[in-house]
Amino acid sequence: MGGHPMRRCVLVFLLAFLAAAALQAQEIVAGLSRSTAAVGEPIQLVVTVRGARGADVPQTIAVNGLRINLAGRSTQFEMRNFKMSSTLTYTYIVVPQLEGDFTIPSFDVGIEGKTYRTQAMRLSVSGSAQVPQAVPTLPQNAPPLPGGPPPASSDPNARPYFAELVLSKKSAYVGEVVPVELRFYFLSTIGGQVGERPNFSGEGFTVQKFSNAAKREQVVGDASYVVFSFQSAITPVKSGALEIPSASLEARLNMPGSAPQGFDDFFRNMPIPQGMFSETQDVTLQTKAQTLEVMALPKEGRPDDFSGAVGKFTMDASVSPKKANAGEPVTLAVTIAGRGNFEGLGAPTLTGDEGWRTYPPSDKFRTTDAINFTGEKKFEFAMIAREDQSQTPAVKFSFFNTSTGKYETLVQAPLPVTATAGSGGAPATAQPAAPGSTPAATPAAAAAPDISAMAGGSASWKSLFFRKEFLLANACLGLAWLAVVLGFALRNFSASKAGRRLARKKQAREALARLRSVEPEAFYGAVSQYLALRLNVGEGEVAARVQNSGLPAEIQNALLGALDRFAESKFAAGGSAPPPAESREALLASLRQFDETLRDEN
Amino acid sequence: MKTKLRSSFIRLAAWLAFLLPSLHADGLADARARYADGEYEQAAKLFEQVLESSAPQAAVYFELGRSFRQSGQDARAALSFRRALVLDPRFAPARAALEETNADLAIPRSPLTWTQKVLDRVPMDALALGGMLLFWAAAFLLAILALRRAPAGRLSVVLGVFVLLLGTAALALAWICDPRVSGRNDAIVLTTGGTTLLNAPADQSEKVAALPEGGIVKILSQRGRWFYGETGAGQRGWFLTEGIVPVIPPA
Repeated sequence: MGGHPMRRCVLVFLLAFLAAAALQAQEIVAGLSRSTAAVGEPIQLVVTVRGARGADVPQTIAVNGLRINLAGRSTQFEMRNFKMSSTLTYTYIVVPQLEGDFTIPSFDVGIEGKTYRTQAMRLSVSGSAQVPQAVPTLPQNAPPLPGGPPPASSDPNARPYFAELVLSKKSAYVGEVVPVELRFYFLSTIGGQVGERPNFSGEGFTVQKFSNAAKREQVVGDASYVVFSFQSAITPVKSGALEIPSASLEARLNMPGSAPQGFDDFFRNMPIPQGMFSETQDVTLQTKAQTLEVMALPKEGRPDDFSGAVGKFTMDASVSPKKANAGEPVTLAVTIAGRGNFEGLGAPTLTGDEGWRTYPPSDKFRTTDAINFTGEKKFEFAMIAREDQSQTPAVKFSFFNTSTGKYETLVQAPLPVTATAGSGGAPATAQPAAPGSTPAATPAAAAAPDISAMAGGSASWKSLFFRKEFLLANACLGLAWLAVVLGFALRNFSASKAGRRLARKKQAREALARLRSVEPEAFYGAVSQYLALRLNVGEGEVAARVQNSGLPAEIQNALLGALDRFAESKFAAGGSAPPPAESREALLASLRQFDETLRDEN
Repeated sequence: MKTKLRSSFIRLAAWLAFLLPSLHADGLADARARYADGEYEQAAKLFEQVLESSAPQAAVYFELGRSFRQSGQDARAALSFRRALVLDPRFAPARAALEETNADLAIPRSPLTWTQKVLDRVPMDALALGGMLLFWAAAFLLAILALRRAPAGRLSVVLGVFVLLLGTAALALAWICDPRVSGRNDAIVLTTGGTTLLNAPADQSEKVAALPEGGIVKILSQRGRWFYGETGAGQRGWFLTEGIVPVIPPA
C-alpha cells in the first residue's frame, strides 16, 4: 500500500466527482475519498446524483468491519437562463472498525421511480492511522470551480435573505399605473431554488402580470447578495389610503452547514464543492406592507370624450390609401403613445365624420417595457365615404395628465384624402348632434346591424352555376329554343317542294284508306280524288296521266272505267249507279297495284 | 287518429317555422351583445351557432372574424373574413380586416388581380343571370332570323351575334371570377405555426416550402391523411390534412 495507489484513488474520486458535476443527464457516481484508511479513521463515501431533485438512498450500508452511515445531503443549484440544474450529493461517513481489505458492495439508488446501482468500491484498512500524503492543491488565486458560488460575504452577521417592495411613488390617482418592483435578496453564499412568481394581490387595486425575474448581485452593508427582482404595476381603483399588502416568494435554500469531524483535516486544501455540508430549508420571503395615497380624478374640467385614460400621451394619425374609389375603404390609423393605463385606454373619437360610414376600430398595443406601462396603442378606423370626401374626420383624444393633475385633449386635424362616394351608399343624413354628445366611432354592438346592412352577396356557398333553379331555367330555355327551331324547320319543310310532295303522298294514302269505308254513292268521286292526289295533277288531267302512265293495261282500264263512272255520276242525269261490291273490291285491288307501282317508280 | 297526427304534425311544423327565425335573431343579438361586452370567445361561439342554424351570411362571418381576431385567433379570423368575402366579394370592411389580419400573420399581400377588380365592380350572381338572359335572348333571335322565310336583315344578325357573344362572355366571366367556383378547392392553414409542404406523402420526405399559418393552398387531391396541393406561388407538394380547413365549408 504505497502512496501511488492512494493518490490514484484520490484522483479517481475527484475525477468521478467532477465528471458527475459536468454531466447533464440523470446519473449517479459513487466514490470513496480514499482507498486506504486506518482503523477508526473516518473517510467519506460520496454519492453524486445529477439531474434529479431527489433520490432514495440507504441510510446505512452493511459491511462487516466498516460502519457506514449517511451523514447528510446537499444540493447544488446552477441557474442558467433561469433554468435550474441540480446536483445532489449524499455523503456517507465510513469508519473502519477492523483491519483488512473490504469491498463496499454496490447498492440501489432510486431516482424518480427508476433504480440505479452504484459500482462496488474497495477499501484497505490498516491497523494504525496513516498520515495522508500531500495531494496537489489548487493555487490560492485559482478561479472558483465552474458553477461554484460567488465570493462569500464578508459580514458574518448579515441576514441570509430578505425582501422589499419598492413603489415608484407614494401617491397616485385612481386609474394611474404605478410601477412596482419586488426584490428578494439572498446572501451570495446560499444556493437554492426560488419560486417562479411572487404571490401578490390585494383589494382596491389591480396588478399587472409580473415580468420574468431579473437576477443581479448587490452589496448591502458589507454583505454580497444575489437579488431576484420582479417588476409589475398596480392600478388603484378607488381613492383613499390604499394598503399594499406584503408580497411573498417561496424558496428552497441550501444553507451552509458544518463538515463532520475529521473531514476538514483531510480536505482542508481541497476544492470542496459548495453545499457538500449544507442543509436544505424551505422558506417564504415576505415584503413589508405599504400604503399608497390614492386621489380621485377631479370632476372639474373633465372633457365629454374622456374615456378613462390616465397618464401622459401623445397622438399621431395617418391615412391610407390617400385616394379611394367608390366603395373602397380608407383606413385612418391613430397612434396613442406614452405612459399610462393602456389596458383601459378607449378609442379616440372622430368628429366631422357625417359623410363617412365608419366601423368600430381595431386596436393593437405594443409595449416597450415588461409591465405594459410605456408603449403605443394603434387604433385603425375603416371608413367608407358616403359622400365625396377630400379629408378625413378630425380625431380627438382626452386623458388625465398625472404630471400636471389636469385633463388634456389632443386634437388631430383632418388629413387630406380623396374618396369617392360608394354607389350603393345612402347619402348621410345630417343629424344635429345633441349638446355634449360624442360623435365617436360607433360601438360594436350598435354598429353590427349597420354592417349587416352593408354586407350583401349571396346566402349560399353554391355558385349560381350549380344551383338547381339556374340549371332548370336553362334546361327549360334550351328546350324552348329547340322547340322554336324545330317548329320553324317543320314549317319551312312543309312549304318546300319535297314537303309538299310528301304531304300529297300522305293525303293520297289517307284517301286510299278512306275508299274502303266511303259511301257507295261517293266511291267514284273518291277514286278520282285519290288519283289526282297520287299523280299530283288536277282532276281534269287524271285520265290523261293514267293513260300515259305505262301501267299494265288491265289496271289502266279499271282506273279509266272508274273515272268514266265518276264523270257519269257528275254529268249524266240521274247520276251513276253505285258500284256493286265485287266491282268495288276489284277496283280497290287495282288501285293498290297502281299505288305500289308508283311507289316502286319513286 | 291519422287526422289527429297530421294536424299535430302541421302545428309542430308551423310552430317551428315561427320559432326558428326568432331563435336565430335572438342568437345573433346575444352574440353581438357578448362582443360589445368584450366577451369575444363567447361571442365567437354564439356567432358560430347562428351560422350553423341558418343560411350563411357575409355580415355574420365578418362579425365572427372580428370576435376571433379580438380573442387572438388570427388564422380563424382570416378564415371567417375569407368566407365573408366568398359570400360577398364587395364587402369592403371584410377585405380591410382580412388584409390587416394577414399582415399580422405575416402572409404576404397578394397583388390585385383583374378578377378581383371585376369582383369589386360586379355582383357575380347578377353577372351570371344577365349573361344567361342575354345568351338565350340572342339564341332565340338568331334562330328566328335564320329560320324565318323572309331574309334576315344584316344588322339584325350582327346584333344577334353581338348579344350572343356578350352573354357568353358574361357567363364565362362569372365562371372565372366567382370565388365559389374559382376557390372551391381553396383551403386555409389553421395549424399553429403553419405546416410544411413536402415532396412526397411521407414525414421524412424533402421539404418543398413552408405553409404559414393563415396561408391559402389549393387542394388538388387527397391520399389518406395527406393532401396534394399547390401554393399561391405555384409550388406543389404534399401536406398533412390536420389543421387544413376548406374556405368554402363542405356541404
